[in-house]
Amino acid sequence: MRKVSAWEVLFVPLFFLLIVYPILAILGNVTIEGMVKTFGDPIFWDAVKNTLITAFFAALLGVLLALGFGYFYIFHPGTVMYKIADFMNDLPIALPHTVAGLALLLAFGRNMFGFVGPTGLAFTLVAVVLAMFFVSYPLAARTIASAAEEIDREQINVARTLGDTPPKAYRRVVIPVLGEAIFSGFVLSFSRSLSEFAAVIMFGGNVPGMTQVLASYVFTKVEEGEVSMAVTASAFCIMLSLMLVLILRMRGRLHARSAQSV
Amino acid sequence: MLEAHNLYKSFSAHQVLKGVSLSVHPGEIQVLIGLNGCGKTTLQRILTGILEPDQGTVSIGGRDITALPPEDRRIGYVPQNTALFKHLTIRENILYPLQNGRGTEESFNEVVRMLSLEPYLAWKPEKLSGGYRARVALARALVSAPRAMLLDEPITEVDRAKKEYVLPLFREVLLQLHIPVLYITHDPWEAGQIGTSFSVMKDGVVERIASPEEAFALIREQARSNGE
Repeated sequence: MRKVSAWEVLFVPLFFLLIVYPILAILGNVTIEGMVKTFGDPIFWDAVKNTLITAFFAALLGVLLALGFGYFYIFHPGTVMYKIADFMNDLPIALPHTVAGLALLLAFGRNMFGFVGPTGLAFTLVAVVLAMFFVSYPLAARTIASAAEEIDREQINVARTLGDTPPKAYRRVVIPVLGEAIFSGFVLSFSRSLSEFAAVIMFGGNVPGMTQVLASYVFTKVEEGEVSMAVTASAFCIMLSLMLVLILRMRGRLHARSAQSV
Repeated sequence: MLEAHNLYKSFSAHQVLKGVSLSVHPGEIQVLIGLNGCGKTTLQRILTGILEPDQGTVSIGGRDITALPPEDRRIGYVPQNTALFKHLTIRENILYPLQNGRGTEESFNEVVRMLSLEPYLAWKPEKLSGGYRARVALARALVSAPRAMLLDEPITEVDRAKKEYVLPLFREVLLQLHIPVLYITHDPWEAGQIGTSFSVMKDGVVERIASPEEAFALIREQARSNGE
């Protein structure tokens, strides 16, 4: 019989207690009544629509900027600009997201961006996108930079001797082989954006039907005492997240299989 | 003529090139022989423009190109690992420089015929053997209408038996170009198969030698003094 190690004894119960059990607690508390009320609530569907649209644009912006970071990583790693960008990549991870939201509010709110409207960019869907982007971009940047690290630099050198300028070599040689990293960076960034609450509520607000997203819908329903609706919306979020994780896993396996067959 | 004059390059306190000078005439295949770690790669990077020298100049046809980036030098480069673009077919690899206004469909057809690559044009690089990958890398560089060629151990991946066939083919094709060709290798036998002139890189400088056999003696002497 296999001897069970102390690590297994420690890991299995704690994993189930602290990770799986809370998820099951949500799923186990979903009621028919809660489902009927939530899925019949147009504000819920507005929150779903807002979440998906803003997370999509935040992830798109994140990947675009991450590709710019990848360019610096490959062609100008010794520059001050690269070093600042590399250092700042870790900042949104360590920063409380309420602080990130406040920073965005001060930077793009009515004081600095009053010319675009009475609140600046704050409390609009653009603000929600920017808040989600701020906290999710580092994931895309790190994913693309680690894939860029694997690229054969000699291919870039050869492309340049064949007449490519650095931006052209990046477009023709580097980006085509970053496909997998671009996809992963996008999905990770999208997932992180879906779950963002603090920065979104600080800068984008929580206006039902306008800037409310799924995370803030759950918060509002708890505050209103509509726990069954909060539980249903949370279960919906869990399903959405699980789907994204599954897509990433399946894509990763397909990629590994195609790499093995080469 | 491809010329390097008095090139110096250091990395931190380690001086790799200590006044390298060489000249390669049109129609000449000069083979530069050196042990691993003697500075061949540093020299190759300076000649192609990937790396800047601390001191010294590089020129082609009397024009100083030291300050030019790699894309403006027109030096055809075949690296050790061939560095074929894996996401492109063989045809797309060889046609790569055409998008930069270099080469023509005619030069593509001619190079493909000379290197017997017709049957493989629709393939991806990973399906080819080392010898054919080297041919494609050579074809890609040739199509770009280079003013000089630099081949850095391009057939390291190829086994000896195939080298005996590939080297005379490369020699024939390169001689037809009538441009300066610098061929870098650590293998004096390979040097003898392809070169029309020879030099050896030792202790950060390049010396002309009469035959690859002289390189054997110099390399043995260096290995002995390094205690290998």
